[in-house]
Amino acid sequence: MADVIQMNYMLIPVIYRFGINLGFGDKTVKEICDETEVDLNFFLQLVNTYHDKDYFPKEELQTIPSKNIVAYLKMTHSSYLNEKLSEIEGLIEALQHAEAEDEKYILLIRNFFEGYKNELTEHIMHEEELVFPYVLAVEEICKTGMVSARNRQLYESFSIVEYQDGHDDVEEKLMDLKTIMIKYLTPPSNTNLYHKIIQLLFMLEQDLNYHSRIEDKVLIPKMILMEKTVAELI
Amino acid sequence: MDNITIVVAEASCLIQKGLVALLKNLDGTQVIQKLDKAEGLFESLSTLKPNILILNPDLFDGNADLINQSCAKLEACKLVIISNEKEVENKYSADAYIHYSDRQDKIMDCFESLKEDLDKKYKKEKSDDTISAREKNILKHIALGLTNKEIADQLFISIHTVVTHRKNITQKLGIKSVSGLTVYAILNNLISMDEVK
Repeated sequence: MADVIQMNYMLIPVIYRFGINLGFGDKTVKEICDETEVDLNFFLQLVNTYHDKDYFPKEELQTIPSKNIVAYLKMTHSSYLNEKLSEIEGLIEALQHAEAEDEKYILLIRNFFEGYKNELTEHIMHEEELVFPYVLAVEEICKTGMVSARNRQLYESFSIVEYQDGHDDVEEKLMDLKTIMIKYLTPPSNTNLYHKIIQLLFMLEQDLNYHSRIEDKVLIPKMILMEKTVAELI
Repeated sequence: MDNITIVVAEASCLIQKGLVALLKNLDGTQVIQKLDKAEGLFESLSTLKPNILILNPDLFDGNADLINQSCAKLEACKLVIISNEKEVENKYSADAYIHYSDRQDKIMDCFESLKEDLDKKYKKEKSDDTISAREKNILKHIALGLTNKEIADQLFISIHTVVTHRKNITQKLGIKSVSGLTVYAILNNLISMDEVK
């Protein structure tokens, strides 16, 4: 496992989302997965997906229960909301305090980031409150072949196609923010902090890309298949 | 153009390595990806956005329809077909063709002329990088939060024209969202901060 992290430090937050903490000595990936009750197959697929952007094992990931995928996506969501966003926000605030002259521009950036944050939060809430319960309900129907009243209601309330359509690019604003900071702003005197913010934005963007790739390429195709099964059942 | 990016999709390792070695002699180009199978090719192209794709149709078992269709979708990417077949020119619609038996100077000429094309195109794009006075005016209205229809009415132009301007502005500045454009407008003193709601 230590080799995995040495190879790509971007995986530190990823393994943490699985509940794996650093300080694992020379234990292998399998040993740690067994200890923390993480599905080894799922873990490997996901880590490889993150590490190598051309590696995308759609078929293997398709066989993993949606429950696990949803659980993982939820963990990433909470890490965005509770850590990443507030970290960047904090830095922008610090920048604002440190600067006297350019304050006006930093306020602009801050407002812009706030707007982005709200949009992302809304998107995440929508997924957690509507999409994920729906996914779980459909999977339960498929697995048991029974349609409980609650699941039926959930099934009829939504369709994954709707999600696909509404799954618009929340990353657009993030890209704009980066572009503005790189191309159009004169950096404030505290360049160190300024650079750090930009680097964090890049990392957040990368992480979000992987995240939405799993949603778009794994969860949605899987749901489309399951919806067909359910439609036949009902 | 600083760097022309190239993707090589060729199953034979000898040919692939040979191509990459030849391209090393061509200044200002860089092979960013080498593939030896068809899977994931077009998927990775959409993220890599290379300037040139060198493709052996054998990867797709010579399925001309599939190749022509998929390659037609690639924007701003030159397609080079490498093949051992005769008359590949009639089968695939590519920007250039390389035959296994071609001599080195012929292959290099082919790449040189592609490179020139790309350089020219890039210069043209670069020259109108800044936004025009007209576009500035439109940008100002966008930043103030007006809809396309409102802008069209105020400036006595059609909605279609407004949309075209918007597209150009976004392309030139690299900013897509309205709030991003607003920030740009304020930074460049097109509007003041108080004007934005």
